[in-house]
Amino acid sequence: MDLSGDVTALVGAGILLTALYLQAESFVNPVIDGIALQSLLLAGLLAWLAYREGSLDLALLAAITLAVRGLLIPYVLRHQIRSYRWRVRERLAAHRVTGHALAAVAVAIGAWFIFQETLAAAFPQPGAGLAFVLLAEGLLMLATRTNTLVQVVGYLEEENAIVYAGALFAKGLPLFVEVVVFLDVLGVVLVSVILSAQRTVIGSPEETHLEELAG
Amino acid sequence: MIDPSTPFWIFLLLVFPASAGILAMVPNARASEVVARVGAVGAVVAALALRVSHGSGTFGPYLGIDTISGVFLVPVTAIYATSVWYSREYLRSVRRPFLSPPIYYALLSAFAFAMIATLVVRDLGLMWIGVEGTTVASALLLVLERRPTSVEAAWRYTLIASAGLTIALFALLLLYASTGTLDAFALAAHPPAATLAVTMAVALALVGYGTKIGLFPMHTWLPDAHAEAPSPVSAMFSGVLLPTALYAFLRIYRILPSPTPATLSTLVLGFGVATALVAALLLQGQRSYKRLLAYSSMEVMGLAVAGVGLGGIALYGALLLLVAHAFAKSSAFYGAGNVLQKTGTTRMADVRDLRHTMPRTAGAWVLAAAGVTGAPPFGTFVGEVLIVVGALALGNLLAAAAIVVAILLAFLGINGQIGRMVFGARAGAEAPSPGEPPTAILYLNLGVALLLGIVAIPYLTDAVRNAAVALGGGLP
Repeated sequence: MDLSGDVTALVGAGILLTALYLQAESFVNPVIDGIALQSLLLAGLLAWLAYREGSLDLALLAAITLAVRGLLIPYVLRHQIRSYRWRVRERLAAHRVTGHALAAVAVAIGAWFIFQETLAAAFPQPGAGLAFVLLAEGLLMLATRTNTLVQVVGYLEEENAIVYAGALFAKGLPLFVEVVVFLDVLGVVLVSVILSAQRTVIGSPEETHLEELAG
Repeated sequence: MIDPSTPFWIFLLLVFPASAGILAMVPNARASEVVARVGAVGAVVAALALRVSHGSGTFGPYLGIDTISGVFLVPVTAIYATSVWYSREYLRSVRRPFLSPPIYYALLSAFAFAMIATLVVRDLGLMWIGVEGTTVASALLLVLERRPTSVEAAWRYTLIASAGLTIALFALLLLYASTGTLDAFALAAHPPAATLAVTMAVALALVGYGTKIGLFPMHTWLPDAHAEAPSPVSAMFSGVLLPTALYAFLRIYRILPSPTPATLSTLVLGFGVATALVAALLLQGQRSYKRLLAYSSMEVMGLAVAGVGLGGIALYGALLLLVAHAFAKSSAFYGAGNVLQKTGTTRMADVRDLRHTMPRTAGAWVLAAAGVTGAPPFGTFVGEVLIVVGALALGNLLAAAAIVVAILLAFLGINGQIGRMVFGARAGAEAPSPGEPPTAILYLNLGVALLLGIVAIPYLTDAVRNAAVALGGGLP
C-alpha cells in the first residue's frame, strides 16, 4: 500500500495548523516553540521522503532542517528573550488575536485559490498548494506583527515554505545551492538577532521610531 | 573562443574583496583601511581587465560572465573602491561608532564581494544567494552611527528585503521544477516555453527582486536605509546594489522566448513607470537631503525597469542610465556626507549658502544633482532619452508621457532643493568654521558620468534615427 500521499498530506496539514496557530498566538515563547515544531514536522517529512526515495540529499536536508531550524535558531531566539528580559507577550498582538486569526484563515483560503487557478495544473503533487499557503502566511506574519522576534519567526516560516516546496516539486535542486541557502538564512537570523539586541539597548523590541523615518 | 586569461581575472575579482573582507578584521584601524584599499583596487583592475579583454564564457558548473555582467562589474568595483577611499574621512567624523574600523571595512568588502559574486555566477540559485548575501553583509553597516532611527532602518531593510527575496527564491523553485535547471546561460541559449508556470515564476521574480530593486509598492525599506546608512554605504546602495538586484531579475527575464509575452513585458513596464512616478512625486515633500537622494534612486530604478519592459533601444538606455547614475549618485552621496560632516544635520531647511561655506563640495553637489536627474551631457541624459525614444518607437505614447513627467518632476524637485541649499541665503548669523572634507572623489566620479554621456551621444543619434524609421519617418 502506498502511503506516501497520505503521509505528505498529513504532515502538510500539521504544518498548516502550526502556521495558523502562530498567527493567533501573542505570547513570544510559544511562537518560538511553534516554529520549532513546524520545522521538526518539516524535517520529519524530508526524512520520510529521503527514506522512500533513497535520497541522500534529502536526508542531509532533513538533518540540516532539524539542526538549524528545529534546534539552533529556536535556542538562539529563546536565549535572546532571557538575556534581555523582554516582554513575554507581544503588546499589540494581544489585542488583535481574533483579527489575526481571521486574517490567517482568509489568507490561507486566498493563497490556496490562487495556487489552484494558476499553478495546480503544473504541480499536481499532493500538498504542493500548502507550500504556497505557508509562504503567504509567513508574509502575513511579517506584515502584521511588531515584535522583532516574532517577525524573525515569520521569516523562518517563509523559508520553511521554500524547503517544503523544494522537497515536493523541485527535487534534484543542487545540494550545494540548498546548503548555502540554509547558511544564508542563518546569517539573516544572526543579523536580525544583533539588530534586535541593539533595538533593545535603545528601546523595547516593539518600540519604533517611525515618526522620525517619515517621508 | 574563450580568452584563457578570463578565469584568472574572475578569480581575482572574487579573491580580492573576499580576502579584504577577512584580512581587514586585523585589530588595527590603519591596517584594515590599507587592506580594504588594496582589495578594492585589485577588484577594479580585474574588472577593467575583463572589460578590455571582452572576457566572456562559462567556467565550471558555477561561474560565467558575458557582456551583460561585464556592464555591471566596472561600476560595482569602482564604487566599492571610491567608497573605501571616502570612508576614512567619514569614519573620523562619527562619534561613538557601533562598528570598529576593522569590522566596518570587513563588512564593506564582504558587501562588495556579494555583489561581484552575483555578477559572475551562472546558476540562478547562487545569484539569489549573492543578492541575499548583500543584505547580510550590509545590514549592520547601517547602524554605524548608533541612532535609534538607524537601527529601525536596518531592521526594516533586513526583514523587508529578505521577505521579498524569499518570494524570488520561490520563483526559482517554480522555474527549476518547470525547466530542470537554474543555469542562466543554458536557459538563455535554449529558452523554455512560456508556460503558465514559467510566466508565474518570472512574475514572482519581479515582485521578489523588485523589493530589493526598490520598486513601488515594495520600496518602503529603501528611503530609510539609504538615508540612515553612512554616506559611503549609501553610495554603494544607490549606485550599485539596486542595479545588482535588477541584474538578477534581468537574468530571469531574459530566459523568456522572444518576443517576450505581452503580459509580462506590460507588467514590468507598469511596475517601472509606477515606481518612477511615485518616487518623483514623493521626493517633492522630503525634508532630509539624504532621503531626497534616496527617492531619486528609486525614480531612476523605475525608469531602468521601464526600459527593461520596453526592450530594444530602451533597454540599451536603461543599462547606460544605470552605469552613469552609479557614478553620479555616488558623487551626490559623498557630497551629502561632506555636508553632514560640516553641518551636522540632514535637514534641508537648516542647510544654506554652501557655495560660500563649502565651495568645492557645493560645486560637485550641483553637478551631481544635474547628473542624477539626467541633465545633458551626462550619460544619464542619453540613457533617459533612449528610454523615451524606445517607448515612442513602440507607439506607447502613454508610457512615454508618464516617463517624461517623472523625469521632469524629479529634475525640478532635486535641482530646486539642492539649489536652495547651495545658493540660498543663511538665516542664522553664525557662519560655520572654514574648511571642508576632501572632494577629489566627488569630481572623479562625476567625470566618469560625464564621459559616459559624451561617448554615448553617437548612439543616441543612431537611436533617434532608427526610432524615426520605425515610426514611418526618417531622413529623405
